[in-house]
Amino acid sequence: MSITFKQVEHTYSQDTPFSYHALKGVNLSIETGHMTALIGHTGSGKSTLIQHINALLLPTAGEVNIEDIIITATDKPKSLKPLRKKAGLVFQFPEYQLFEETILKDIIFGPKNFGMNEEKTLEIAKETIKLVGLDESYLEKSPFDLSGGQKRRVAIAGILAMDPDILVLDEPTAGLDPQGAKEMMSLFKKINMQGKTVILVSHDMNQVLQYCDDVVVMNKGQVERHVLVDELFKETEYLTSLSIDLPIITSFILELNKNGFHIDPSIKEIDELIEVLGGELHG
Amino acid sequence: MENIIEVKNLTFCYEEDVKTIDNISFTIKKGSYTTILGHNGSGKSTIAKLLMGLLEKNSGDIYIGGIELTENNLAKVRDQIGIVFQNPDNQFIGSTVRDDIAFGLENNCVDPSLMDSIIEEYAAKVDMLDFLDHEPTKLSGGQKQRVAIAGILAMSPSIIILDEATSMLDPKGRMEINTLVHQLNKDKNMTILSITHDIEEATLSDYVLLMSDGQIIDAGEPNEVLKKQQEIEDIALDVPFAYKVSTGLQKLGIDIDTYINKEKLVNTLCQLHSNK
Amino acid sequence: MDNMMFGKYIPVNSFVHKLDPRLKIGALILLLVTVFFDAGFIGYAILSIFVLIMSILAKMKVSQILKAMKPMLFMMAFLMIFNLLFIQNGTIIFTLGFIHIYDKAVIQTIYIFIRLLLIIIMTSILTATTKPLDLTLGIEYLLAPFKKIGFPTHEVAMIISIALRFIPTLLEETQRIMKAQASRGVDYSEGTMKEKIMSIVSLIIPLFISAFQRAEDLANAMESRNYNPEAPRTRYKQLHWQIADTISLTATVLVSACVIMMSFVL
Repeated sequence: MSITFKQVEHTYSQDTPFSYHALKGVNLSIETGHMTALIGHTGSGKSTLIQHINALLLPTAGEVNIEDIIITATDKPKSLKPLRKKAGLVFQFPEYQLFEETILKDIIFGPKNFGMNEEKTLEIAKETIKLVGLDESYLEKSPFDLSGGQKRRVAIAGILAMDPDILVLDEPTAGLDPQGAKEMMSLFKKINMQGKTVILVSHDMNQVLQYCDDVVVMNKGQVERHVLVDELFKETEYLTSLSIDLPIITSFILELNKNGFHIDPSIKEIDELIEVLGGELHG
Repeated sequence: MENIIEVKNLTFCYEEDVKTIDNISFTIKKGSYTTILGHNGSGKSTIAKLLMGLLEKNSGDIYIGGIELTENNLAKVRDQIGIVFQNPDNQFIGSTVRDDIAFGLENNCVDPSLMDSIIEEYAAKVDMLDFLDHEPTKLSGGQKQRVAIAGILAMSPSIIILDEATSMLDPKGRMEINTLVHQLNKDKNMTILSITHDIEEATLSDYVLLMSDGQIIDAGEPNEVLKKQQEIEDIALDVPFAYKVSTGLQKLGIDIDTYINKEKLVNTLCQLHSNK
Repeated sequence: MDNMMFGKYIPVNSFVHKLDPRLKIGALILLLVTVFFDAGFIGYAILSIFVLIMSILAKMKVSQILKAMKPMLFMMAFLMIFNLLFIQNGTIIFTLGFIHIYDKAVIQTIYIFIRLLLIIIMTSILTATTKPLDLTLGIEYLLAPFKKIGFPTHEVAMIISIALRFIPTLLEETQRIMKAQASRGVDYSEGTMKEKIMSIVSLIIPLFISAFQRAEDLANAMESRNYNPEAPRTRYKQLHWQIADTISLTATVLVSACVIMMSFVL
């Protein structure tokens, strides 16, 4: 297991009038190498949960185990740095964390903080900039001369350069245009294929369907479901009750099935759908 | 129908020699729902700022409701347009919902004794009446955008521009805003100009302007424009889902029309299926 | 940040909460001046009783007042020790090596302590009972006469109210950027001097960039809604002077006058 939560509780501003109980007895285990979606609406506890993965937040009760580093309310490792390196967290709109004069410096900021030597970092910067789809010539440019989408790539490169085992992404494609979003998602899938655990917080069910293996649903501070993606989208009533939309392809199939078609609702690819649909129509 | 927005040979450069808007002309009909579709950096948001007079054009003419946009006419033009920007936080000016709706009224020198009733009327229209004394940090993105719309409606413009107003919202917020705006378009005959890269949203509009590199490369009804797959993919956008399915089926020899609207496609397919 | 009580508005319903902000600001200024008139222990007793009555009318809790004083403790201690050691008047009452402490110094120090205490409590009462926006409005009204000599009253009020509106947003942003950089290995609590400077830079620059972005967006949004600082505009929030305000003003003026006169007589 890559990540395990045991009865994790988190209360913000405990013992004050402003206290807020954000996680309520969360149990969760995520397997190494999976690409897991984390869904639920705003305020469901998603963002609190992911901040426990690299110990930006510590549980107020229960136990979090990240690749054998154990954190409980009373006991945490002396230094959190090894954990922060293991679990790379990409916040929403990460382009706002850029600050260095050059893209190179910004990308190697993380690796240097984790004690990597200069030579090695340069090599890594060259690798990661290519990985996110920009060429080496960008390294000497200022990150502030880039377009919004390019800035986001550089910010993500800054996390990838830390070579984390777990990559946590909070709405990484928010605000990107379709092309940019697609490229970004393919990049994460590629990283996942290299054996990294990827956790994707997303509101876009099309992405969840297309790219993820399993899905965790949060509601009111609790994990309500942790199932394979196909399984989740069978539970249409449950999803409606959470006002979560179905992927466009799934809702399309269900509409057709309501009117006499018999198409497997777990179809993910549009080409497969067309073929099956063609088959039924030719009869 | 008369044109409420007319743009002729508009050019604008942020930097010298880089034309962000390159000699574009278009018209928008009164009471229509128009989408400007383009990828990030295509210049589509710049158009909104030019129409509002927030940026100064280099050349060309802009007419809003028959009034030419010039430095002296700024107020008259802005009286007719309300704009909802992308970031819900950065356009919330008041400390509470009430104060924010009041901001525009104050600028228009409305009598303070009339403001409460106006504020309540428009807060009710966007379904925010229960939140009048809430601070912006306590509201969701969708709620903040609804407040922005209430603030605009209170100033009774005839055009609303949505400058990627839903791109930072979750699906629920996005749906709320889209429903509200369509309602305003239908019930109040409000002219809507929506700037977006969401092709599915564009399928529901009356008119589409396709933008790339500061130019309008195509314009027309969604039924025509959104079927030009090559053109759309060339500018880094995606064709509608219904288009992909219907053209895919055509390739398999099934005799159906090309659709961009999912519901219409479902209906046709079901008919085909039951006639079989 | 949660423990920072000084200057925080406390939403309860009290007599003082309902008073006109103009009165509250005016009364505070008057009392602050009065505090610096030396009217002996009796004078301070009168002031203290007055402030005590105000705190009760404002439904202030002792714990809130103590919390408000916390950030000032260091300064108070510093001032008191400084006074105790450097005033060399009257008779020596205590000697330790080269340190001599005089009786006048002790009295002066007690005065200073009382003064600071009163100032902090009075200011806390104002901020705890008046919403930031009402404070701005009060200041704008009180500054109105200066418009004639070209003082940009309205602009100043607008600047303050926007600043107040964006403080929570920027605090949230600060926390977000700190967390994002902590995820990149920044340690805000430990490290060498160089690392510390770097960690601050990694926070400040993104914060500034985003603040400028927000400012630009905000300016656009304000202009789009017909805002023009030079044009006349009406105000939604109106202030209403009531009998309670007149009575409170009279009481404050009487107390101040009394204390100030005593200082001249004594």
